Amino acid sequence: MIPMNSEITLRDVTRRHFFSRCSLGIGSIALSSLLAKEGRAVAAAPTHRRNPLEPKAGHFPAKAKNVIFLFMAGGPSQLDLFEHKPKLTELNGRPIPESYTAGKRFAFMDSSHRSNLLATRRTFKQHGKSGAWVSDLLPYTAGIVDLISIVTTCKTELFNHAPAKLYMNTGSGQFGRPSMGSWITYGLGSECDDLPGFVVLQSGPRGPRGGAVLWGSGVLPTTYQGVPLRNQGDPIVNLSTPQAIDPARQRQLVDAVRELNLKRLQVTGDDEISTRINAYEMAYRMQTSAPELMDTSDESQATLDLYGIKNPRESSFARNCLLARRLVERGVRFVQLYDTNWDHHGGPTENLKKHLPEKCRDIDQPCAALVRDLKQRGLLDDTIVVWGGEFGRTPMGEVRESTGRNHHIDAFTMWFAGGGFKAGQVYGKTDEFGFGAVENPVHVHDVHATILRQLGIDHERLSVRSQGLDFRLTGVDPAKVVKDLLT
Amino acid sequence: MNRVCLILAMYLPTASSPADEIISFNRHIRPILAENCFACHGFDPKHREAGLRLDTFAGATDDRDGVRAVMPGDLEKSELWARIQSDDPDLLMPPPSSHKPALSPAQRALIKKWIEQGAKYETHWAFVPPVRPPVKHDGPAAIDYFITQKLGEAGLAMSPEAAPEQLLRRVSLDLIGLPPTPDEADEFLKAYRQDADAAYRAAVERLLAGPHYGERWGRWWLDQARYADSNGYSIDAPRQIWKYRDWVIGALNADMPFDRFTVEQLAGDLLPGAEESQKIATGFHRNTQINQEGGIDKEQFRIDSVFDRVATTGTVWLGLTIGCAQCHDHKFDPIEQKEYYRLFAFLNNQDEPTLKVFDPGVDVSGLTSEFKKLEAEIAAYMKDHAEELAQWESGLTPEIKKSLSSTIVKALAVPVKKRSFAQQRTLFAGGIGGVGEFRQLNDRYAELDVVLNQGVSTMVLRELPTPRKTTVYIKGDFTRPGEEVGPGTPAVLHPLERPTGRPTRLDLAKWLVSPRNPLTARVLMNRVWQQYFGRGIVETENDYGMQGTAPSHPELLDWLAVEFMSKRWSLKEMHRLIVTSRTYRQSSSTRPELRAKDPNNYLLARQQRLRLDAEVVRDVALAASGLLSTKVGGPPVYPPIPDGVMGQGQVKRVWAVSQGADRYRRGLYTFVYRASPPPSLTVFDAPEGFNTCTRRIRSNTPLQALTLMNDAGYFEFAGALEKLIRKDGLAAAFRRCTTRTPTLDELAVLERLDTLTAARVLLNLDETITRE
Repeated sequence: MIPMNSEITLRDVTRRHFFSRCSLGIGSIALSSLLAKEGRAVAAAPTHRRNPLEPKAGHFPAKAKNVIFLFMAGGPSQLDLFEHKPKLTELNGRPIPESYTAGKRFAFMDSSHRSNLLATRRTFKQHGKSGAWVSDLLPYTAGIVDLISIVTTCKTELFNHAPAKLYMNTGSGQFGRPSMGSWITYGLGSECDDLPGFVVLQSGPRGPRGGAVLWGSGVLPTTYQGVPLRNQGDPIVNLSTPQAIDPARQRQLVDAVRELNLKRLQVTGDDEISTRINAYEMAYRMQTSAPELMDTSDESQATLDLYGIKNPRESSFARNCLLARRLVERGVRFVQLYDTNWDHHGGPTENLKKHLPEKCRDIDQPCAALVRDLKQRGLLDDTIVVWGGEFGRTPMGEVRESTGRNHHIDAFTMWFAGGGFKAGQVYGKTDEFGFGAVENPVHVHDVHATILRQLGIDHERLSVRSQGLDFRLTGVDPAKVVKDLLT
Repeated sequence: MNRVCLILAMYLPTASSPADEIISFNRHIRPILAENCFACHGFDPKHREAGLRLDTFAGATDDRDGVRAVMPGDLEKSELWARIQSDDPDLLMPPPSSHKPALSPAQRALIKKWIEQGAKYETHWAFVPPVRPPVKHDGPAAIDYFITQKLGEAGLAMSPEAAPEQLLRRVSLDLIGLPPTPDEADEFLKAYRQDADAAYRAAVERLLAGPHYGERWGRWWLDQARYADSNGYSIDAPRQIWKYRDWVIGALNADMPFDRFTVEQLAGDLLPGAEESQKIATGFHRNTQINQEGGIDKEQFRIDSVFDRVATTGTVWLGLTIGCAQCHDHKFDPIEQKEYYRLFAFLNNQDEPTLKVFDPGVDVSGLTSEFKKLEAEIAAYMKDHAEELAQWESGLTPEIKKSLSSTIVKALAVPVKKRSFAQQRTLFAGGIGGVGEFRQLNDRYAELDVVLNQGVSTMVLRELPTPRKTTVYIKGDFTRPGEEVGPGTPAVLHPLERPTGRPTRLDLAKWLVSPRNPLTARVLMNRVWQQYFGRGIVETENDYGMQGTAPSHPELLDWLAVEFMSKRWSLKEMHRLIVTSRTYRQSSSTRPELRAKDPNNYLLARQQRLRLDAEVVRDVALAASGLLSTKVGGPPVYPPIPDGVMGQGQVKRVWAVSQGADRYRRGLYTFVYRASPPPSLTVFDAPEGFNTCTRRIRSNTPLQALTLMNDAGYFEFAGALEKLIRKDGLAAAFRRCTTRTPTLDELAVLERLDTLTAARVLLNLDETITRE
């Protein structure tokens, strides 16, 4: 069962002592066989859970096991992709009625922010049985509308990139809170014993704003933080054995460290040593399994074509989508893909006319391919795929070198597939300009609560105590599981 | 299992016969009420259900239409008693909707007895100033007395003293963050055989007097100060504030009394005739992040940094979660939202400049006037020789131009009248003035420019002449100002003393270290204790409020707090006291009896093995391999890091690897970018400086194994250690890592390996990265 209200202190160790007597994991079995091989027993038998990522049951039976979060960093323009608003075209260039914006704050208030409506350049069509509107920029996504739930009324609280990214990932704009992937691996562990439970993949010209804190574990142990898998050099920092060392010598190293650590365990009786012995075993396994994961030469040409991967060795969002599938196949709990540069204000390298279509070309086919590929392999039922950014963009234009759109938090679009999310629906309704929700708003905390629910976690009960408070992903104000999104 | 049960489990073995036990509100009852009741029946009136509060005697015994939650001495008339054992889910407390389990039989029994005994309330222990408990013992023996007493009640005894090698290694790592050198160990062992006590005391004195003590304990303080070398958020530009870091190291090495240490950091600029070092000290509250993202509302993030300063002050000195009252009255502790903004008002009146810092020998005013004089002379020279320059310029063929430097070419491109002073200088220096009088003037000018204008700066606080208006922010939202408030301190604590006029940061700082403050000395001593035993006497080291845990050894905590103040707030005195106690000097190995009776070592019948802090993991490997640079202070350094890790944030930062000895500096000098911190430190739980860190988590992960096995830095250290193996043998190398001599068994394992692998094994041992 998921630990509740635990103080992350030494008491966490305490807790492990209390809970683990009944659950001796793979790690401890391995250790006892090692001890048996050594022909001796430890002074006092260690009792705690030696692998903090050991799989655990949730609060309810789970509908899904894994999550893949496709994060379009910068804030994709829902009004040019999913939200068909003829009124915006009709009133292009006119000011938005003040009733919409009274009392609202926006980014760039003192410079490029404008209050005139901006028409889209795109053409919209309805697709699939669900009749979902999708613009011409996302032809492949249009092809999977009957496999996904599109939510047009997502809502967040903060309108600058780094704070909003933090909010989407941790449920708070404050630093020091665990990210969703950390919460989930903390709550459920991981079913993969030779890769990290929470993996981050990146594409685009640079890292996401905010950096490592977006996959940080905050007040939870670093065991649960996201591990970036890199497309160049070592996939995991320090994964490769130093060049001068051949595999046999590395194995000798691991064996000798284990042997000497075991001797120290017998003298001191400190359970932390057995945890460390297991950590070395897993690290050693990772040295083989991570390169195997990254080597996609066993994928068929048809699969590569499905994702639109031209050069499988080259880093790209498409390759990251394929890797995401390979990760969940191996039981990795939470995979997060960041694709950067979705911040289309209208500047020289970030306008809606040229750069938004380029970004869409990068991601459209692979996103759709991922959903289709998971489905054909029977993995979609167990895997929640989430698509979205930290916020959306304003119906009003912003004027820089050319026109673009400003950051917008009142209504933006995300989509969800698999893991018990309904297939083929558009949820929520926004006003004629797409400024705010008129029906069924879905707050970021509701998104979190719903994802956790599908994984079998009650978002109100997954908490950790720090500074006298029980922190949780969904914060203190009530959040709701959006049942309408679920089968 | 909730935490209350754990606390009870901890007390039960030591409790006297339950039948006649006097129930203590603070010890037995408050934890139960705090965990289960106060969220809805506590201090915060806005979230109070049914108007009932249980955190005060008056509230609990209030006559509410003939019903009282608690009727002292009368169980049957106490509604609370009926509710906690009701079968009816509509009546049961805590209600099932709260997801809190019903009270356990043990908890109910305590409440029953408490009501029967008269339901006495007590002021929360942490708000009552500590009093020296009446003990005959003095010095370290007093510590041992309190520990032994509790152990005796549980039928346990202390463990024997740790082996001398282990003891020396422990105290070295704890006091200076470095292992003993083989020579130090030899000397110690020799002296120890003659007079163990004297040898140990001498070692402690040597360590406390050395320059590395300030590094070790400086890092402890820098965690709390949320120190890092960049601005954070998305841009995460580098910043210069290492002078503050060096100030901390220096102040601790000089054993600056903690009250002064506090005042200088919070309000050094307001001290009469504030010296440069006292201004540098105010960098403490400049360690907040700065958002440089485009399109932000700057005021929003300035206020965010003040929020952080209030919360940090509350946590670091008071051990209270004052930050909780930012949006509403505190739910558990008696702190009103308005009081939060009174504290905010102290910290809302600063601007945030940088201070140029000069080396002590620099005559700033003399050089400044020389600089100005030179500037005038150069200007005059250039005016007088303008024609010559024009001639030179007209004679430049495209051929010649190609050979000129790019700065000269750029300056030439500017129309004559629009050229800046610097551009004119460039042209004169590169053209006609390359020799003689101009050259002399210009070279000296350039030299002084470096000394005066391009030197080291550091971020400080400076009080505004007119205070900013401070209001309550409704729900903590800065766009919703409420009632205006002035500076002040929470009513539940001792009064603020001030002569006249509006209180300032200086008054706040003095209030924090007033001897009447019930919290600061306890909070600090607890945090020192935690470093030595892995857990504080109050386990929730950052929460002394109602939700915090009760102290495991309340009398010891009070004794330490009173002793700290009476020893003029000397941290070194307190370190000396603790590390010379028998409690500290015990072996850390466990034994079956302890596993059964106190598996988590709350009672301290043994020392505790603790994985080293991130920086010290590095320092130990450097020391063991003989590479360590022992230089103290100075600008942050850039030891090698794995490729590609600087690209995690929005802006890819350059990491120009330090050369020479700076590759091998102690971990605390490594440059930390908040958005892309050095992986070999964060993997061992080093904080990134986002907010105050009063205790590091100690994780134990495969990524740590990968770091020690494969990181290029550690591989390099192993190479150096291999050379030492070849020179001095395996046993000597083993000692460099663990201070002890290996057993024959252990040696046999190492002898099977080639020397490089043996060196790598030694740096990977659990024992090497653990303080036993």
